[in-house]
Amino acid sequence: MARSLRILLAFALVALLAACGGQAAAPTAAPATVPAAPTDAPTSRPTVAAAEEPTVVPTAEPAATGPRRGGAVVVVQSSDPGSLNPAITTAGPVHTITDQIFNGLVGLDDQLNPVPELAESWEISADGTVYTFKLRPGVTWHDGAPFTSADVKFSFEEALLKFHARTRAGLENVLTAIDTPDELTVVFRLARPYGPLLQRLDVVEASIIPQHIFAGKDLQNNPANLNPIGTGPFKFVEYVKGERIVLERNPAYFRAGRPYLDQVIFQIIPDPGTALLALERGEVDYLGSVPGAEVERLKAMPELVVVPGYGGSGGSFCQITLIPNMTRPPFDTPEVRQAFYHALDRQLILDRVYFGQGAVSTGPISSQVEWAYSPAVLPYPHDPARAEKLLDAAGYPRDAAGNRLTVVFTHPSSFARLGEVLREQLKTVGVTLELEAMDMPAAVDKVFVQKDFELGVASYCNGSDPEIGVRRVYVSSNIGPIPFSNGAGYVNPEVDKLFDEAAALTDRAERAAIYAVLQRQIVDDLPYFWLVDSAGYRAYRATFDGFRVSAGPFLEEAHLITGDS
Amino acid sequence: MPLNSGRYLARRALQGALLVLGVLVFSFALIHLAPGDPIIVLAGDGGNAAYYAEMRARYGLDRPLPERLLRYVLAVASGDSGYSFSYRQPVFQVILSRAPATLLLMGSALLFAVVVGVSLGVLSALRPRTALDYGISVFTLVAAAMPVFWVGQVLIIIFAGRLGLFPVQGMISLRARHTGVRAALDALHHLALPALTLGLPQLALLTRLTRTSLREQLDEDYVRTARAKGLQERVIILSHALRNALLPIITVIGGQVGVLITGAALTETIFAWPGLGRLLLDAALSRDYPLLMALFITAAISVVVANLLTDVIYTLLDPRVRYD
Repeated sequence: MARSLRILLAFALVALLAACGGQAAAPTAAPATVPAAPTDAPTSRPTVAAAEEPTVVPTAEPAATGPRRGGAVVVVQSSDPGSLNPAITTAGPVHTITDQIFNGLVGLDDQLNPVPELAESWEISADGTVYTFKLRPGVTWHDGAPFTSADVKFSFEEALLKFHARTRAGLENVLTAIDTPDELTVVFRLARPYGPLLQRLDVVEASIIPQHIFAGKDLQNNPANLNPIGTGPFKFVEYVKGERIVLERNPAYFRAGRPYLDQVIFQIIPDPGTALLALERGEVDYLGSVPGAEVERLKAMPELVVVPGYGGSGGSFCQITLIPNMTRPPFDTPEVRQAFYHALDRQLILDRVYFGQGAVSTGPISSQVEWAYSPAVLPYPHDPARAEKLLDAAGYPRDAAGNRLTVVFTHPSSFARLGEVLREQLKTVGVTLELEAMDMPAAVDKVFVQKDFELGVASYCNGSDPEIGVRRVYVSSNIGPIPFSNGAGYVNPEVDKLFDEAAALTDRAERAAIYAVLQRQIVDDLPYFWLVDSAGYRAYRATFDGFRVSAGPFLEEAHLITGDS
Repeated sequence: MPLNSGRYLARRALQGALLVLGVLVFSFALIHLAPGDPIIVLAGDGGNAAYYAEMRARYGLDRPLPERLLRYVLAVASGDSGYSFSYRQPVFQVILSRAPATLLLMGSALLFAVVVGVSLGVLSALRPRTALDYGISVFTLVAAAMPVFWVGQVLIIIFAGRLGLFPVQGMISLRARHTGVRAALDALHHLALPALTLGLPQLALLTRLTRTSLREQLDEDYVRTARAKGLQERVIILSHALRNALLPIITVIGGQVGVLITGAALTETIFAWPGLGRLLLDAALSRDYPLLMALFITAAISVVVANLLTDVIYTLLDPRVRYD
């Protein structure tokens, strides 16, 4: 039964990948495939975005027929989304589906640069506090109503800034007013210059919802949340709870000719082993996160394509991170934290627990966020002897039994495999790790809300900008009872200041310079033990192509290449 | 049924209602005292403290537990079971939409277990201490010992993966979308493995029970008398002995509804079956309190009703049984 064993192991890994607030995500270092489909080429290029738009080099594909039209794709959805309103939730299972139905003001390309979407162009005032968006004309909602600037204003004021956790936290003190001088113009007025604004306006962070459906009604328990009306490439058809969500092609989509598929079926399959077999047997076509142990076997199957990529919306560029409680012994002592980091063999953890998928972390920003990542930080090589010296110096000598101290590792049960390896490695330096496994909500409660723990763990996801997913982990203002916040209780006023400075700049190179300083400072302080910059794999039937690597609207350019669906 | 058994039933129904109320209070305390809260489901991640506080207040999560319990009981009493945190819909609607799948699965599993289990038990009882009897005995021991989630995975790997005889998961073929007779056959095809998985432990239990119970009956005087009268063995066994032997079996089946609900949670997760069992698991993991409470109450009512029905059936089958 070697196979069932593999599937059991697969369980552990997938559950682990799903660790960041329930968002199963599998980011990648570099896109492995460039979609063969033509890229978006709006007639009027945006004034600012044009400078940042990357040149997409066409692949060696013969420029013959273009993507095939028609057919249906069945996509594995690992959990029931519940309701389908993307503007009031950050939940990954919701956004995987709604990001195909809705749009943001801007899109993000595979390098995370903003590109035109509902906004066709934008201008930024010289002082960086006024953003003027020109909306794409002629866009309609799926029910036929015209899309206007009023929808944008409504979405932000009534939904996103009230109920979308990340957007509210990031923008409520930044965005002071939204003006709509005419139906196709939206003006954002900011309290201060804010560089990452455009990165926060994509469909994941700020889906635009229809005012004419929701105006004046309760957004939380609105029946319209189960019958979503968007502007995106696919229209909602039906949602059978626990079983399926069906979308169909939006023939009136503003990017003419797209999408290529007639129908998308999300099938809810909670068990990763079952989902894998269903893919192998052809019952489903696309699996967003392949269990690590299965990747090599699947790669050998000619009917499947296995590529690195994102699992879904929301959680991208995640880092498996240990959280020492800095507010109490033993981790209030810097030497103890340094000793722990030196005692851990991160390469071995990457290889044994994560099947070599990803990279060894060096600091608070994932190496996959290439523009902001800096490797110029203090390295903490695997060095048990040094760890022992540091522990001696910190006042934790070995006792008669060879034990220096005992630490409780509070973790969601999906991190059980990691816990075993950590215990093994820490034992060599005389540290006993007690494993305390619980289910995800209980572990989050204990570590982030009750703060009653010694060593915790989380998969912190960087998101499309350090301002979205990195800042929250390190600034002292985010220590409160908040899930996936500054769990260590790390306080450094200099760090707080640098995050604010980086956010106020618009230029990426200037911001990167500040993030480099930040990374050096934070790694010196060592408030967390960053283990692995996660990467994952997705797999699909070889009859398909064109799935986008990045989160968000990954189906817009997907198409069949051969045979019938 | 005589008049006073009506009074008996009324008394039992009242007891049942009190039991359900007890389950309500107990499970309310249990799930609210368990660590973890539904704030991530309600509010998502990456928010600030003000937002989480606001959402806690909005859903009454910041109030003391006794007050929340009181509000809940009053709301339920007035017919309002609340909104599910994750589905943002009245929990009643959510449960109703998932119930048919579970009823189909549990019904099929039970039917399979009763038909095959009783048959094997009779075979076993009629040929005691033969190879067949021992074979069935070993089979039932193994079947009863295997955990549901393991059996499900093994069945999938062998019959769906290797042999390709059955679909791996789901309740219908989403791509084909059959209609009419073909849709029914398609559903049956999807139902086979999960029903087998869920029914297997019940089958094992019923086989053992039938064998023991029937053996006891066959040693009774009335069987000897019947044999002395020269009745056919088939008639003796089927019309006389088995009928009496089935009485304890019915009691056991009635009591197994709770076990079936537990098994359904695992079976439905493995086979991606869109029923209540998986809903229960999802609700527990996301701390969807209103949904979880409603599911507990539904399960409690089902068990109470199943037991009540068992008692009623008992009076119909056995004229000696009288409730007063």
